[in-house]
Amino acid sequence: MSFTNGFLHLTNWAGNVILPTLAGLFFAIAILKFARSESYGVAMYGGFLCLMASGLLRAMETFASQRAWNDPDVYWISLVTLVDWICNVLMPVYAGLQVAAGALRMGIVTRIHPAEGWMRHFVAAGLCLLLSGLVRLAEFFVVNGTGGVS
Amino acid sequence: MAVPQLLKDIIQVLLQLAPGASLVALVLAGIALRREGGTTFLIGGTFTKWMFWAVLFLTLVPLVGWFTSFGVATPLPSGGIGSSWLSSFQLDVSSFVTNFIVGRIVTTLAAFFVLRAILDTASGGHPLPSILAAMFLLGTQATYSLIQSYSTGTQFATADVLDSLWNYLAGTIMPIAAGLAIVGAIINFATHRPAMRLVAVALAMLCVTGIWKLVLSMEA
Repeated sequence: MSFTNGFLHLTNWAGNVILPTLAGLFFAIAILKFARSESYGVAMYGGFLCLMASGLLRAMETFASQRAWNDPDVYWISLVTLVDWICNVLMPVYAGLQVAAGALRMGIVTRIHPAEGWMRHFVAAGLCLLLSGLVRLAEFFVVNGTGGVS
Repeated sequence: MAVPQLLKDIIQVLLQLAPGASLVALVLAGIALRREGGTTFLIGGTFTKWMFWAVLFLTLVPLVGWFTSFGVATPLPSGGIGSSWLSSFQLDVSSFVTNFIVGRIVTTLAAFFVLRAILDTASGGHPLPSILAAMFLLGTQATYSLIQSYSTGTQFATADVLDSLWNYLAGTIMPIAAGLAIVGAIINFATHRPAMRLVAVALAMLCVTGIWKLVLSMEA
């Protein structure tokens, strides 16, 4: 018996046995919340995340191995890669989901008004796809504002 | 003047009891780990103190070599223990530590910690600290062998072992802990608790050496 083996098996057990089991519970909670018209997103995404624990760890390992293990910048580059992955991979996928949600809502609600729910979905999709551009725009404003007001 | 045989025997007994003392120190470190949190430990706290003693007892003979470099002659007696009753005492104490403390008591203590984990959860606490302490106790013999394998036998053996233990923590334990941090982040997210901190911690656990190099480069 060694501490390393015990710790490794504990992590495997938690990630590959307990979390997939809990996924079912979170999906059940999501359905119950949906039935009561409550916010069910967190429980639903929680269920999906429970099924993806190993994949998420592999993703983190990939982020952390963008530089050599003894490079002082390894943590910064890991964070940059994480942000890059969220903004340029996950957000465009989320944009697709928002477009689909907007289209579904537009099929139900026929009124054309900027405050309608379907409009919010399309705007959210646009913002998801424009994320890098928005950051560049904010950087542009800040750089141009360093001179002060003339 | 020749050193009396009894004195030589006492020195031999003490030196031969050092591995046993190291094992006892490891057991006490396991208990201290639970007291100090389980998932963390205080630098300068009881856990680190007992771990230091465990390493020190295992590297006692190489450490004595420093006195020679200071100009103080420290001839360690060679050979076995001459007095039969002292030899018997050393064997009895070593056997007590190996067969009773490490062989039986440690397992029972670990079982109590598992029970404590359940009770901690029942009282609104977290089971992980007690589970980790139980695992540390169950791995006492393996940890002892690990520390032994890190000993270089030189005057710097104590520092070498501590260096190797840091490498072991950073290179072996922390990447596994990153997996546990991801599990914690997922559970926190699904239960409406802060999760981003654990994601950042998981990344940090995978970059421990890089962060150490970063601190070194900042200090330079």
